[in-house]
Amino acid sequence: MKSGQAEIVETSKAIQKSGLMSRRNAILEFILRIVAFFNTITSAILMATTNETLPFFAQFIRFHAEYSDLPALTFFVIANAVVSGYLILSLPLAFVHIVKSKTQNSRVLLIILDVAMLGLLTAGASSAAAIVYLAHKGNNNTNWFSICQQFNSFCERISGSLIGSFVAVFLLILLILLSAIALSRRH
Amino acid sequence: MAKESTTIEVGEPSTVTKSTSHVVVDEKKKKGFVAATAGGGYKRGLAIFDFLLRLAAIVTTITASSVMYTAEETLPFFTQFLQFQAGYDDFATFQFFVIAIAMVASYLVLSLPFSIVTIIRPLAAAPRLILLISDTVVVTLATSAAAAAAAIVYLAHNGNPNTNWLPICQQFGDFCQAVSSAVVASSIAVVFFIILIVISAIALKKH
Repeated sequence: MKSGQAEIVETSKAIQKSGLMSRRNAILEFILRIVAFFNTITSAILMATTNETLPFFAQFIRFHAEYSDLPALTFFVIANAVVSGYLILSLPLAFVHIVKSKTQNSRVLLIILDVAMLGLLTAGASSAAAIVYLAHKGNNNTNWFSICQQFNSFCERISGSLIGSFVAVFLLILLILLSAIALSRRH
Repeated sequence: MAKESTTIEVGEPSTVTKSTSHVVVDEKKKKGFVAATAGGGYKRGLAIFDFLLRLAAIVTTITASSVMYTAEETLPFFTQFLQFQAGYDDFATFQFFVIAIAMVASYLVLSLPFSIVTIIRPLAAAPRLILLISDTVVVTLATSAAAAAAAIVYLAHNGNPNTNWLPICQQFGDFCQAVSSAVVASSIAVVFFIILIVISAIALKKH
């Protein structure tokens, strides 16, 4: 009888501990989502407000640069905006995970959506990175000249806005990992 | 002999509760076992599908990497100042593409044993969790390489009038085609990866 009671006490302690761990897990997910949202919205705004006009003008050459001149940067802005909208909309679901205990199916849904958003964000960030690299270095073999030598502040702006996006990619990976660990732990 | 029913008086109530709790525990174990074998059925099917998708993704990534590596074209005329040769190493992004997709292909080959383990033991969570975590990291690398190469290929096809970047596809037709098909193959591999991650997530569910 005594061993049975001890068993019951032990299993209830283990359940309590795992309940605490999963709650901590869910709170960490919620916080990471908020941080990732701020990163993506900052990147989108930084890129979308790029606008530089050089102070001299000639008849045939353009002296104005903004993000919509390069389609990869436009895709970057759209991807970041979509992902930040998704992160805001998924915050209530993440909050429900903190409170509720039986969250298996919604966690699977959240992982699937997170993976889709990860793909979109990575595609936007790396295509913009390829174009920014080209803008910095140019390409001698194809006679593509680097535009950074003329448009300094435009170049700095587009390079800086990539950072927030890549940090958000890393945070999304962490979110998927946390969801997967929480999924595999449930009894 | 006339007595048909005998009443057994149990003096200690604690043993009665112990025996009933044992019965409850046994039934729970039985239910759990039945649920486990029932869950094992569809999880094993998912694991087999996972293995086959991995094989398909290996073929796709190796194709993408080798097509990009061997994309080369030399135009039959020459002048003193302009280059008339195009290869993958003329573009830093394409170099990154070849190396990254090759790394993704070798990761897929190394993850095949884990996939086989999940087929043999469909209820074990650890190999699936490892596969999901490493798949997520590798899908980021693959998407990054595919998207960067796609941006450069788009530029090669269409050029950009605002920055005076001319499209080179009009001169280097074969090179452009080879490079574009490599990008398409790697995008298909990324789609396979996403399906793999979704399968791992669904199979991780416990009942």
